[in-house]
Amino acid sequence: MSLAWLLRRLLTVLYTLLVVSIVVFGLTQILPADAAVTLLGENATPAALAAVRAKLGLNDPAWLQYWHWLSALLQGDFGTSMRTSQPVGPAMFTALGRSLLLGFSSLALMLVLAVPLGMWAALKRGTAADLVSSLISYLGVSLPEFVTATLLLIVVADRFQLLPATGYVAPSEDLGDSIRHLILPVMTVSLILIAHVSRMVRSETIDVLNSDYVRAARLKGLSPRTVLLRHVLRNALLPTITIVALDVGYLLGGIIVVEEIFAIPGIGRALIVAITSRDLPSIQAGAMIMAATYAIANTLADIAYVLIDRRIRYE
Amino acid sequence: MSVLSVRDYSLDYLTRAGSQRVLQDVTLSIAPGEVLGLVGESGSGKTSLAWAIMRHLPRNARESEGQIGLGDTDLRAATAKALETIRGRRMSMVFQDPSTALNPTLSIGRQVSEVLVRHRGLDEKEAWAAATEALAHVELRDPAALMKRYPHEASGGEKQRVVIATAFACRPELIVFDEPTTALDVITGARILDLFARLRAETGVAALYISHDLALVSRVADRVAILERGRIVEEAPADRIFRSPTHDYTRRLVAAVPRPEHRLVSDMPTPEPLLSAENIAVRYHRKRPATADLRIDLKRGEILGVVGESGSGKSSLARALTGLADYSGTITLAGRRIAHMDRSYRRAVQIVFQHPDSSLNPRHTVAELLARPLKLYGGDIKSIPQLLTDVQLPAGYVSRYPHQLSGGEKQRVAIARAFAAKPQLVICDEITAPLDVSVQASVVELLLRLRATHGTSYLFITHDLNLVQQVAHRIAVMKGGEIVDLLGIDELRAGQGHPYTRELLAAAPPPVG
Amino acid sequence: MSDALHRLTRTPQGMLGLGLLAVLVLACLLGSLVAPYSPEAMDFAGRFAAPGVKHWFGADQLGRDVLSRLLVGARSTVPLAVLATFSGAAVGACIGTLSAYLGGRWDEAITRTIDAVMAVPHLLLALILVSTLGKGSTNAALAIAISVAPSLARVTRSVALAARQQDYVKAAIARGEGGAWIVLREMLPNVAAPVIIEATIRVAFAVMLFATLSFLGLGAQPPESEWGLMVSEARRYMHQAPWVIVAPALAIAVTAICFNLLGDGLRDALNPRDER
Repeated sequence: MSLAWLLRRLLTVLYTLLVVSIVVFGLTQILPADAAVTLLGENATPAALAAVRAKLGLNDPAWLQYWHWLSALLQGDFGTSMRTSQPVGPAMFTALGRSLLLGFSSLALMLVLAVPLGMWAALKRGTAADLVSSLISYLGVSLPEFVTATLLLIVVADRFQLLPATGYVAPSEDLGDSIRHLILPVMTVSLILIAHVSRMVRSETIDVLNSDYVRAARLKGLSPRTVLLRHVLRNALLPTITIVALDVGYLLGGIIVVEEIFAIPGIGRALIVAITSRDLPSIQAGAMIMAATYAIANTLADIAYVLIDRRIRYE
Repeated sequence: MSVLSVRDYSLDYLTRAGSQRVLQDVTLSIAPGEVLGLVGESGSGKTSLAWAIMRHLPRNARESEGQIGLGDTDLRAATAKALETIRGRRMSMVFQDPSTALNPTLSIGRQVSEVLVRHRGLDEKEAWAAATEALAHVELRDPAALMKRYPHEASGGEKQRVVIATAFACRPELIVFDEPTTALDVITGARILDLFARLRAETGVAALYISHDLALVSRVADRVAILERGRIVEEAPADRIFRSPTHDYTRRLVAAVPRPEHRLVSDMPTPEPLLSAENIAVRYHRKRPATADLRIDLKRGEILGVVGESGSGKSSLARALTGLADYSGTITLAGRRIAHMDRSYRRAVQIVFQHPDSSLNPRHTVAELLARPLKLYGGDIKSIPQLLTDVQLPAGYVSRYPHQLSGGEKQRVAIARAFAAKPQLVICDEITAPLDVSVQASVVELLLRLRATHGTSYLFITHDLNLVQQVAHRIAVMKGGEIVDLLGIDELRAGQGHPYTRELLAAAPPPVG
Repeated sequence: MSDALHRLTRTPQGMLGLGLLAVLVLACLLGSLVAPYSPEAMDFAGRFAAPGVKHWFGADQLGRDVLSRLLVGARSTVPLAVLATFSGAAVGACIGTLSAYLGGRWDEAITRTIDAVMAVPHLLLALILVSTLGKGSTNAALAIAISVAPSLARVTRSVALAARQQDYVKAAIARGEGGAWIVLREMLPNVAAPVIIEATIRVAFAVMLFATLSFLGLGAQPPESEWGLMVSEARRYMHQAPWVIVAPALAIAVTAICFNLLGDGLRDALNPRDER
């Protein structure tokens, strides 16, 4: 991996964030909400509104407002929430921490289950077990998070009272309770990912199993175990890295819904609150942070790919 | 006691359409130190027989009867566990395409040494040393460095040597070769065969050598078996099979093998110049030029053969002449200098590509495919059935899609499309390479018949030196983007020409007998 | 086309997908006719009635018949999602084709920008759009169309680039065909199949996204019987009457499964190879 390659990859991330900032700012600019009204309420006097507009620079042309926003952003200033009058940045990053806990737990669960499941289905392809697992994965990719979450709540939390229904407990507070509160959200977010990724792992593994080099390895008299671990695994998992990274986008969307349903004060919930209360700086900050997370995840995946696959060191 | 004995072996594949027989009562045996050549066209079942011997059949394979024995071991009765100790140690295999037979994510050293760890009980370090030695033994330069490299960092010939070193690593009794030189260039392939001859003499290994190329097998093998649609129709010593084939099918195969001394073209081209290209240089993005200052000329009715290995610039020349690649230089057609490729030039110069699967749009019917040149260059749509008849296809094929045709039929449609334009020059870019020998022979015959009717010139690009000597009036030899030699067929046969030309010829000797 | 349909019925996924699609189409066309009750007919005595002879799928918090609401709700859920996906797909396909056709720096710029837009999760993009344009089904559908376009553009571009490399395109160029013929007659038929397959699978996502927006209160509005909205409204009563949630939840899942199956079935059916 060359330095030039890394630099170019970094430039791509920056370009991504630039485009996202334009999209997000552009979309929020055409919001019919008048920020001044949002701040002061419907009954504010026209004079007071005009004063606030002048102070916020709302009378400036859009590009100038964008520029002010962007340059503040580059200095780490995400603006002030219109709802709470608090700085947006710290609140968003606190929320992000909670979401990352949920996100990483879901990713981990997904990898632990989806990879073996997909490989197992590939090895058993054509059998009843493969059919059952493929039917389950069809169901898995067809259940939106809010459906899964609601069904889990009915069965696990309501009917059998096995786990708490909603709420968030920080791990530092009470680790056991924190985990109990996390189980249902993590199951919800990861189900659709498990279904998707295991299907991908299955088809990649089947391709690799049919490859000449795996045939050659078998015909060398290597044991099935060695063939699987040494020759199949790595080649089947390589494309999976990219798929998982792209699925991070889906995961982020899932987190928004799940945090809303399970009342987890993460970045997703913050975004929903911001959107319903038309809190522009919070919407902008939340969207930028999510996009950055996605871009970073994909960059890390690219780097991992290059480290593992010797073929594409240059490029 | 024979090393390999196959007796009355039959094999079926279960498909959606029902059971399909691929091998029927196959019987053959290989004595110690003997090489048996197995020749068949695509679909003859030759590769299925290799898988059956290696005990690596697809799931839908059903073996009905017969025996396969390695020495005194009954391979059909061997358990999976027992096979693990037989494969790689007592019998091994060399594959057609070395670039897919090696795992792209493991180092070459790892892939050679793992066999030694597995079968000779060496530890990693000893195996590494032994593997390095094995690589040195197959004449690979700097084996220690090569061990650490990955397959994509080695050339095709090097990779095939690595595969061969792996196959010989545990001194097996039998090695199955499945078209080991087909994916390689002529000279590289010839060197691989030299290596095989040397290793064979040293180790006394028995081998089953599978190929579609009767001429090649007759030089490599002691005995040759001919497989036709799952049956062995003839088996004879290698030198006899060419001289006195007994079975009809074998006779047809032998007749189809291109023999350089047997000219298919007897007339001379007219003295009238048709096309001349000067200082043709093709340059793709940034890279070094694919060709440098090529200069060729063709007379009306002339067949100019262009030979060279992959990457020599043959196809770039074709692309330049058809306007598919940007080039510098001048092209003159029938005395007219071509500034840009206008309709009349494009009509006069047609191209037929190597793979009809790719050159015929899969979503167009034969009628649509043939109608285009007629509409573009002025022709009558009603002549489509006649065009098909001219290339010996039933006129009823007009409504078919390419995937409903066989490989040879598709190539005939591609040829018909070229001739629909009433061209003066047809560029044939390796058009016989993907076809079976017998189909290849009939396609060549068709081309020559069309030339006789229309007086067309051909630029005949090929890697088959025997074939090109049968049809070409003159031959251009390309290497590294340059024409190193351009000489008449008589001069070529008289042994004149560039040393590289002679090396190419030596790598493709005519069939024995 | 009828040929592809015939082949679709020969794959198990295609058969099942077509069967489910037929049910959905019937529900959309005839749902309000065959529904046993009016979807808005309230019956306070029959609140939370369990599934039984009178109400096959039970009744909700207002005593409305769940089956009737589902049947009528099909029309608020499925056609919009399909329409949104295919219009978004059409826009995406045009962008992707354009990008592949222009090539070089333009292609690079367009591709990078598409990748960048895709860094915003679909749901978030849709949420921001809907909150900008206002709640409601039409705006939700528009948001879905916009969020579908980038991924379809990417798929189309890669397929078009692959088609561009085929010899039949080279043959057309060598023949002297015009750009319009090459794009429309040589490339498009070969690009269309993968794009249709991808778009079909995207319908499943669109149905789910649409239901999610309604669930979050930004898509369909009460008293519509859109399925996501039904789940949302019934959540408060999940202790008393879980069936009011389960029925629309399953309807969403079955619809998504239907389009996933259809997409996979089409993948086999639209491949013009291995027939002999």
